[in-house]
Amino acid sequence: MKGWALALVVVVAATLAIGVQGLPTHDAPEAPIHDHVGARYVERGVEETGMRNLVGAVLLNYRGFDTMVEVVVIFTALAAVLALPRAGSVADAPEALPVSPVVLFVVRLLAPFIALFAIALLFRGHVSPGGGFQAGALFGALFVALGLVLGRRGAARLVPERARPWLQAAAPLTFAAVAALGWALTGSFLGFPQAPELHAVREAMALALEVAIAVGGGVILGSLFQTMEA
Amino acid sequence: MSDLFDAVMLALLLATALAVARARDLVAAVVLFSMYGLTLCLVWQHRGAPDVAITEAAVGAGVTTVLFLIAVARTRREERR
Repeated sequence: MKGWALALVVVVAATLAIGVQGLPTHDAPEAPIHDHVGARYVERGVEETGMRNLVGAVLLNYRGFDTMVEVVVIFTALAAVLALPRAGSVADAPEALPVSPVVLFVVRLLAPFIALFAIALLFRGHVSPGGGFQAGALFGALFVALGLVLGRRGAARLVPERARPWLQAAAPLTFAAVAALGWALTGSFLGFPQAPELHAVREAMALALEVAIAVGGGVILGSLFQTMEA
Repeated sequence: MSDLFDAVMLALLLATALAVARARDLVAAVVLFSMYGLTLCLVWQHRGAPDVAITEAAVGAGVTTVLFLIAVARTRREERR
């Protein structure tokens, strides 16, 4: 059995190594990624989508359907974890487990800076690297870090119980709303209006999606942690 | 310099990946996997993808480590032989 596994690994690794030899170098101008849709995104992306960050233009506009289904996948992962039978509820959990003073101090010291960095990534995402997913990942990490030091009940207070299901589903719901609005304005699902007089509407749609991805992603990561820990 | 950095990082990635696969103690495996995520984060940053690096650091090295540790704590620490 072990011999077969080793042989399989060697064969797969050799195949991959041969395949890698055929790849164009990292900076080759004639590489296929540069002369298909990529070239058009770089040349006309800003003009066609009205977004200054090309990554954002691809995520929300050219590949908007991808992103929409991605947030549904993340939400589905949480739904699956929530559906698992639970050991106990938040209410009968101990108030806080003993935490090392070093961890407590470091998390308290860093939490505001992590939050600030996440917000900066979210709202500077249209001009610099960042955006909803990055901010959501940081918010999620912050929730988990705070959950470690606050204990289950303390962490449960971070997000109001009544708002929680709505925040967990924020990204899919906002995508649905923005897609419907785009449909009404342009005639195509998740379409962004191109007319100059609707510039503000287009910006608001993109911002709503980014904020919803960040908030929804962060709350989902935090909820995964809380549900598994409970 | 740049090639040297890439070579060291790739060697480290390979070493940590093999160490994760070989570790019998699952907590050790989780910590090694977190190290793998941090190394990968440096590679992304070096490759000019800071947004991917941020996500890798927060999720790959941070959140998944905690989730794996919880999963280990709720099951068993040693891999079945």
